Amino acid sequence: MASSTSLSHVESDRRALHALNILPGVLLLAGIGYAAKVLERTVNTYAKAHHWVFPNIEYVLWAILIGLVISNTLSIPKIFQSGIATYEFWLKLGIVLLGARFVLADVLKLGGISLALVVIEITLSLALMTFLGKIFKLKPKLISLLAIGSSICGVSAIIAAKGAIDADDEDSSFAIAAILALGALALFTFPAIAHGLHMNDTSYGLWAGLGVDNTAEATAAGALYSDAAGKVAVLAKTARNAMIGFVVLAYAIYWAGKGQAEVVTNKAAFLWKKFPKFILGFLFVSLLVGFHTFSKAQVGSLGNLSKWAFLLTFAGVGLRTNFREMSKQGLRPFIVGALGEILIACLTLGLVIGANRIWGL
Amino acid sequence: MSTDRSTNTSKSALLSLDGWAVVVALALALVVKLDWLKNVPW
Repeated sequence: MASSTSLSHVESDRRALHALNILPGVLLLAGIGYAAKVLERTVNTYAKAHHWVFPNIEYVLWAILIGLVISNTLSIPKIFQSGIATYEFWLKLGIVLLGARFVLADVLKLGGISLALVVIEITLSLALMTFLGKIFKLKPKLISLLAIGSSICGVSAIIAAKGAIDADDEDSSFAIAAILALGALALFTFPAIAHGLHMNDTSYGLWAGLGVDNTAEATAAGALYSDAAGKVAVLAKTARNAMIGFVVLAYAIYWAGKGQAEVVTNKAAFLWKKFPKFILGFLFVSLLVGFHTFSKAQVGSLGNLSKWAFLLTFAGVGLRTNFREMSKQGLRPFIVGALGEILIACLTLGLVIGANRIWGL
Repeated sequence: MSTDRSTNTSKSALLSLDGWAVVVALALALVVKLDWLKNVPW
């Protein structure tokens, strides 16, 4: 009795010690994340006040950049290490809560034509990025990340896929950086091209929603053209976002199967073991929202909690990324990303123009 | 490579990460549903 009591004391002491151990690192992640949010707001406000033509750099990029600068210029003390490692927990927590922001029923709002375009876009993007990645001999998981990021919804999809396929931090960092950099460029190029082609609001909104990867940039690119185009862009982007669960699920199964080189005696049990359970949490939360379990304000709160969790994740991604490791990869991933994005933008433009001619959007 | 390192680290730090993420997320969802946590800002 006495020994079991002392053992439980030792266990609880160990847990308390562990909680204390992770605290400095978690505070560092939170500090970097919050600094990123402040920077986003401050820089954008300053640029607007001084009429600068300055790309809207999101907190995501700031958090990764701050983390990268710290990890590549300073030697991070050991006291922060175990806390920094918790970023994977924040990642998965963020993904489960993200389910609140991806309602499958939203796809129906777009109607048949738009939905068909989304499906074609995702299929073409996945195939194109995979093809380009193989031509440039990128690592298979980096190809998957770039393909998922460019076909569905940029950063969220890469973050979701990273956990699901257990990809390298450097790979996801590279893919996120490429998608964000190209998304910022799209803010300027998409409206300019559309004006040149005299596209109508619906066609352009669809193109922005299909062709620009990150949701914020897609929304902004649409709104830069017109208010009506902005609304259509959000709808088309939502349809793409709704597919995140299915595509990441498919990739998770693909990689789980690929990782089993030895004889598989019980494939179902193996898949269950390898399958990232947080995706089920993601789908469950999405389903709860679909059944109107939460009010609109509550859904908003869940979405914001997801963003806070991701904020710590982004800081961790930057902190865990080392330029020396990245330089071994070279510029090929970025070139593949850029080439792929340009081709996808052309393909989706062709799709939208074709749909406009056939159905009169 | 670094994923392996981070996974190992986090596995030793937080057992069954997926499970904890789902449990904490559902607990947060419950807290929000019960209106114990309202209008989370961003």
